[in-house]
Amino acid sequence: MAVELSFSKEIENMMYASHGKPIKDCLQCGTCSGTCPAVEFMDNSPREIIGLIRADMRDDVMKSNTYWTCASCYHCTVRCPAGIDIADMMYSLKRYSMWKGTYKEGLLGPDFSEAFVKMIVNSGRSFEPILAATYLPKYSAGDIVREGLMATGLVLSGKMPLLPKKVKRLKNVQRMVRRIIPIGDTK
Amino acid sequence: MKQYAYFPGCSLESLSKNYNISTQAVAAELGVGLQELEDWNCCGATAYFPVDELLAYTLVSRNLAIAEKTGLTDFVAPCSACYKNAYATNKYLKGDPDLLEHINFALEEDDLQVEGKMKVRHLIEVFIEDVGLEAIKEKTTNPLKGLRVAPYYGCQIVRPRKDKEDVENPQFFEQLLSAIGAEPIDYASKTRCCGGSLIITNRKAALDMVYKLLQDAVKSGANVIATTCPMCNVNVEVYQGQVNREFGTNFSIPVVYFTQLMGMALGVEPKRIGVSASMLSLAQSTVG
Amino acid sequence: MTEKIGVYVCHCGTNIAGVVNVAEVSTWAKDKLGENGVVVSRDYKFMCSSLGQELIQKDIKELGLTRVVVAACSPHLHEKTFRNACKGADLNPYLCELVSIREQDSWVHTDKVAATEKAKAIVSGGVARVEHHEALTPLRVPIHPDSLVVGGGIAGIQAALEIADAGYHVYLVEREPSIGGHMAQFDKTFPTLDCSACILTPKMVDVGNHPNITLLTWSEVTKVDGFVGNFAVTIKKKARYIKEADCTGCGICQEKCPKKVVDDVFEAGMGNRKAVYVPFPQAVPKYPVLDRPNCTYFIKGTCKACEKFCPTGAIDFTQQDQDITVQVGNIILATGWDLFDVKRIPQYGYGRLANVFTSLEFERLSNAAGPTGGNVVLRDGKTVPKTVGIVHCVGSRDQNYNPYCSAICCMQSLKFAHLVHEKTGAEVYNFYIDIRTPSKGYEEFYQRLLEEGTHFVRGKVAEVSNVARTPQEEGRLVVQVEDTLIGKQRRIPVDMVILSAGLQARHDAKEVGKLFGISCSADAWYIERHPKLDPVATMTEGVFIAGCAQGPKDIPASVAQGAAAAARVLGKIQQKEIALEPVRATVNADACSGCRICNDLCPFNAILFHEDTMVSEVNPALCQGCGTCVAGCPAGAISGTGFSNEQILSQIEGLLLLNIKAEAVPA
Repeated sequence: MAVELSFSKEIENMMYASHGKPIKDCLQCGTCSGTCPAVEFMDNSPREIIGLIRADMRDDVMKSNTYWTCASCYHCTVRCPAGIDIADMMYSLKRYSMWKGTYKEGLLGPDFSEAFVKMIVNSGRSFEPILAATYLPKYSAGDIVREGLMATGLVLSGKMPLLPKKVKRLKNVQRMVRRIIPIGDTK
Repeated sequence: MKQYAYFPGCSLESLSKNYNISTQAVAAELGVGLQELEDWNCCGATAYFPVDELLAYTLVSRNLAIAEKTGLTDFVAPCSACYKNAYATNKYLKGDPDLLEHINFALEEDDLQVEGKMKVRHLIEVFIEDVGLEAIKEKTTNPLKGLRVAPYYGCQIVRPRKDKEDVENPQFFEQLLSAIGAEPIDYASKTRCCGGSLIITNRKAALDMVYKLLQDAVKSGANVIATTCPMCNVNVEVYQGQVNREFGTNFSIPVVYFTQLMGMALGVEPKRIGVSASMLSLAQSTVG
Repeated sequence: MTEKIGVYVCHCGTNIAGVVNVAEVSTWAKDKLGENGVVVSRDYKFMCSSLGQELIQKDIKELGLTRVVVAACSPHLHEKTFRNACKGADLNPYLCELVSIREQDSWVHTDKVAATEKAKAIVSGGVARVEHHEALTPLRVPIHPDSLVVGGGIAGIQAALEIADAGYHVYLVEREPSIGGHMAQFDKTFPTLDCSACILTPKMVDVGNHPNITLLTWSEVTKVDGFVGNFAVTIKKKARYIKEADCTGCGICQEKCPKKVVDDVFEAGMGNRKAVYVPFPQAVPKYPVLDRPNCTYFIKGTCKACEKFCPTGAIDFTQQDQDITVQVGNIILATGWDLFDVKRIPQYGYGRLANVFTSLEFERLSNAAGPTGGNVVLRDGKTVPKTVGIVHCVGSRDQNYNPYCSAICCMQSLKFAHLVHEKTGAEVYNFYIDIRTPSKGYEEFYQRLLEEGTHFVRGKVAEVSNVARTPQEEGRLVVQVEDTLIGKQRRIPVDMVILSAGLQARHDAKEVGKLFGISCSADAWYIERHPKLDPVATMTEGVFIAGCAQGPKDIPASVAQGAAAAARVLGKIQQKEIALEPVRATVNADACSGCRICNDLCPFNAILFHEDTMVSEVNPALCQGCGTCVAGCPAGAISGTGFSNEQILSQIEGLLLLNIKAEAVPA
């Protein structure tokens, strides 16, 4: 019989390899938020997110854009006086939101990450034009034109190849991926 | 000549080809043997972790396993994100036998096994620590006198903590720049994030971060910004125009890879370090 | 088996009885151990109570008990209680054995059946052992009436004065040229805003004048031999290069000395002194000190201005360090604290950004006798700041630096805010995580600062920067912090930043502790005998600690601890002799081969080697009965009263129930 875990416990479990202290050690001192270079673009500061997690307010956390605005620069992590790996917590929240399919509307992060992983499973190497398909539709017309011009410039100057590269033993890599999570075609 | 297992990373094959060619050129000049890993895969940068943690470590471990198979001791990455991923994964593998077992189970599909025994280095570390600043200084035939360089470390080369002492005020990049005769400028934002992949997923936030960097570097008197990561380079160079549009500024400061500066100082021909004409003329006008 | 043993099994309320069936254990002891000498076995709710003790005493008198075994809590707590109870009934206290069925049984197991069986085994062990106990008498050693206080800060001064006023002689050793410690550097003290020097100097003068105090400044302890009541302490009196007998303290040498040196100690690097100097005008003693490494004469062989101008010829360049050895009965360590090195936090900008100050630097700025005459100004020496930011918790409450709270910084930061208001009328921002104002008058002081219009921002400062992003930030320092009460990151431009840095143990605390035979905690503060009930004693008899050497605290607490340590010392001196635990090791001289392995093993340096007879001997006064030498001796030549081989081996047999007849062993 499955036990209903509290939201804070779920997030704690998702910080598997984190070598920092648990988020229950948070003093709410605000060093993380004082340091974060992206905080002005976040609905809630990192400190507030920790407070909300501890209060098990799942919906408030999920609908906040905070964790998708994190650039994983780890500045909060190295300065946190309680030794919490806050950037890693942000990744856990990203994973949780992908798993549950809940996140704030209009965010590009989830689609981008998913597309990226699919691209790797299909080729093993990253190739920007494929990724562009995920976010360009959400850009304005002017932005799309600008991106296109920039891309053309990069191709012409030899900085971007026209075709994606592939890993030779791709089939093996795909089978390897399937041993971890069930995505990717192994035919 | 010491051999290193070289992991170029996806960017160096495409957008940041000039980083790759300048790296090869400088390594050759300094007697550093870079053996590219065969059939390496993408390290994931910051994109795997939002989806699945174990998959992320597995994909990185494949590269570590390939490196271990070569018998070489050092795994070298020129890109800070690749470096950070490899370093952290390697460290976790060493300390967590359950993780190791799970990953090796997956790696079996490609006839690979990983132990976590590589020494993971960033390219700049290899030049500074293994070749040595003195040796670099001696080989500098064309010291970049008068070139005021802003050493842009970026975030993932120093954070999270690796084995380096100082995460808040590292000096190793400045020391390298001094060794090649350039004038490193001191500016507080040198380890501030460029925004990374936010340039795509949250353009506004990333542009703001790039703007603050440019502002600080230019105000502190830099006439060129040097980077150690392709993502940082692209964000700070390619998007300067957009920053200007967004914030009403008129930045036009060249952004180069540290290997390109080293190449210039070591007297390597321009086409072997991928330096543009404009960058070259700037360097020549300030250099004596 | 001629002994008559009484067994007493305690319930300890439900602590033991909740897990162990004490009645069953008691009955079992009577039944199964009767053959081994147990004549009575009882269980009782609280053996340590008066009634419980009386139970034992009654049985001793009425049943003629010759041995007592109490099965209760750990000996750490009540061994003395039961020993005294036996003594009260005229049974030698060392014939009583306390075995723990609480810490070793009921508190660590949940299986009640197994725990009860274990308790029986423990009792059986105790019964087997106590048979081999001997009646012992404590060792009595005389207490030398002189005392040593190390450290001349407020705690040490208080301790020395208390002992001296009671009529006993004290040596007060201080490594700086003057007593006074950190308190002498402060401007005002919280919460009363008393001038620090004004309340400190009368005590300093008392020390200087006191007939019972031998003041040894510019001196350090280099060796401590002996044991409680009888310490032989070697003190190095560093050369002052001044003949104290001739010096009048006129100060002409200091005036004429041409060599200026940055004063890193008293002025916290904010001001200069000369190579020959008195650290501050009210110094006690008044004699200056010549700083040899910085003296032109010692470096180049020239100058000697001080000697030329000294009216009494008190300068003596040939003076040497002098070692003296003194006999004392008790020692008090009051060695104080060091300031956290704020350079370890580069993002606060100290050293790189000019107008970032440490707490001690600000004290010197604010002090009227300081390098700026009490004017709060920036590093340029003249600009008065219009906005000041005070940062709490610098290096404290932080896993990356010191995890503990430094106790005084909140009050100190409030004090700074008040002084800045008073002296400059500037806007003051205090950046804090919590406001800790626990003692008398402290919360009221906080209210006062609120009324003065201090801007309190709840947030730990992330960084102090000089990178201007807006015109208002141009040319100023910017404090970047999250104002957590409103949930926004703020950048506040200020002219001056004061870092309330934490307190740390002295950099050489561990080495000094070793000298005196005491230990340091992980944070290098000295360890007290009991954190709640015995904060000034240490595990080493005769050595006490007081003040910040034991942990961060404010001045009233330091004074209280100095007085408390003095009271303990006076108590010892009054008794004229001290009784030492007779549980000690003895070397059987006949069996000793003179290998000396035990000499180095002893953590208390209690074993002497006699060169003439080539045997080792344990000094019973220093020996703490730890048993290391007993285990280490390859010839088995060392035995311990209270833990002889017979006692230990028989206890083991008892634990394994080997001393009970076969059919009596439970299934």
